[in-house]
Amino acid sequence: MSAVAATPQLELRGVTKRFGGVAAVDGVNFEVAKGDIVGIIGPNGAGKTTLLNCISGIHHLDSGDIRWEGASIAGMAPHRIANLGIGRTFQIVKPFGSMTARENVAIGALFGSAHMRRGMKQAFALADEVLELVGLKAKADQPVSALTIPDRKRLEVARAVATRPQLLLLDEVMAGLNNVEIDEALEMVRSVHATGVTVLLIEHVMRVIVGVCRRAIVLDSGRVLAEGEPEVVLRDERVIEAYLGERYAKRLKSS
Amino acid sequence: MIATAASNRRRQRIFLIAGAILAAYALLAPLTSLDAAQSANVPLLADKFWFQIATNIAMFIVMATAWNIIGGITGYAAFGNVAFFGIGAYTTGMLIAKAKWPFLLALPLAPVVAAAFAALVGLPLLRLRGHYFAVASLGVGVAVGELVQNIDYAGQPVFGGASGLFLPIFRIDNRGLFFFYLMSAAAALSIAVTWWMLRSRLGYGLIAIRENEEAASVLGVNTTAYKVAAFALAAALTGLAGGIFSQWNVFVNQDNVFPITYNIQMILMALLGGTGTVFGPATGAVLLYLLIQFLGGTLPISFDLPFVSSDARPIVAQVILGLLLVVVVIFVPRGVIDFFGGRTRLSVAYLRRSLRETSL
Repeated sequence: MSAVAATPQLELRGVTKRFGGVAAVDGVNFEVAKGDIVGIIGPNGAGKTTLLNCISGIHHLDSGDIRWEGASIAGMAPHRIANLGIGRTFQIVKPFGSMTARENVAIGALFGSAHMRRGMKQAFALADEVLELVGLKAKADQPVSALTIPDRKRLEVARAVATRPQLLLLDEVMAGLNNVEIDEALEMVRSVHATGVTVLLIEHVMRVIVGVCRRAIVLDSGRVLAEGEPEVVLRDERVIEAYLGERYAKRLKSS
Repeated sequence: MIATAASNRRRQRIFLIAGAILAAYALLAPLTSLDAAQSANVPLLADKFWFQIATNIAMFIVMATAWNIIGGITGYAAFGNVAFFGIGAYTTGMLIAKAKWPFLLALPLAPVVAAAFAALVGLPLLRLRGHYFAVASLGVGVAVGELVQNIDYAGQPVFGGASGLFLPIFRIDNRGLFFFYLMSAAAALSIAVTWWMLRSRLGYGLIAIRENEEAASVLGVNTTAYKVAAFALAAALTGLAGGIFSQWNVFVNQDNVFPITYNIQMILMALLGGTGTVFGPATGAVLLYLLIQFLGGTLPISFDLPFVSSDARPIVAQVILGLLLVVVVIFVPRGVIDFFGGRTRLSVAYLRRSLRETSL
């Protein structure tokens, strides 16, 4: 798959979202090419999650435009954006508590992009396929309450993957996981990306950004501070000042 | 301690068979009142009074089961569903009394008008969540009844006003039996709709909305359309029961088709039986209706409550009912149907677990 396409798959132009007087996202511009895997980093309150909420239609923009394959999706309802092929996860997982893991994933398959071509049987078959991909097959029939935290994060990703997205927005799926679990989750993200899905992920764990992302976008106070290859961006003076602190900078230089 | 899967299945089968036998008896016993049965010396198992009670139970089964679609499956606590009952009753009533339509032609319009009204008010109302929706829907429930009674045109009440609507009697042999079976058919239909829903795309979408509306929307569920569909479906079934009631009762006014108490009763029936399930609301309707009538002293099987004069009886009945429902909500949050599924039994451990679940 090619990293650069003629028209970008996703294009943000001057995206601005205010809460009261505070601009949580302030004139953000960037593009994501089809098949790319891009990381968004930035300190707490930088506007990362707000930006994801803007793309997935949960927030209405105050100004600017978001284009999907050349056409504006600003102001569209979340379900229509999902049906276009943009899937997402939530940082604080939002499982359907009364359902089994399999049913949770089937919701994505039943309602996601091109869902009308999928009957109940096909949707559950797709759910089983996705559960296998994320490594939850053995726990398919367990209720959500029986799942561990890492498994709930997998479920969150599985549900979004089952919508058959062309672009997947991941909001800190690694947060709260230990090192072994992060490696497993990384493997999961890689295998989803390998199926041809563009990935845009928010992450605090630098290992993840350096490990899987081809490009990183640094947000600070709602603005894009730096953009480029992860290793280069993480060495950028402004980024280090704004976010990483000197200790990390020293470690980075010595390594 | 923990019952084995095999014994659970056996228990579930026993409850299913017992339920089927009860339903079969309830549906077949009235046939013994037919002239043909009487002349063949079949013992009379159900008389007119019995039809009255059984038809009312079937009516509440429809209302509780329909409420479950919006309140139980979708998770939007509608407190004004009696509006749909009244709208259904007045639709059929007006068509028969004023437009002289035959009953069987006027009846299908009751669910249609009720559903259309629900879709109309649902669009703004279902944007509200939690308590706000509950209060707003209660307001609609009260307002519709008042409007229907008080709308005048050229000095004449449009819908019969305070004196209500009088319908001509529907001429058919064994009228009581006819309306009992018609209402039972509506009850069966509402249960069948619920059963189908819980296996369909619609049902999965609604449960997703109940469990987490935001997650449902980003997974592609058109939450507005689904909520309005659930509200309209609940309204259609409730309206159907109202339509049947109007011709059965031959008199329709604000008091008998818009009673606020129905709002409460249908919700309590669904809670008592088990919300979100297929048979829970119906089970709750049977139990609670019989209990209300028993406490009120209107059942043939009755006895004097100790220390209670007959004047105070209705009040004491309300108090007992209220206490019972508090206990049920706290200790049996998933409804009595939970005990019939075969997985759980009523035990002290169960009550303690429930208390933990329902308290902060």
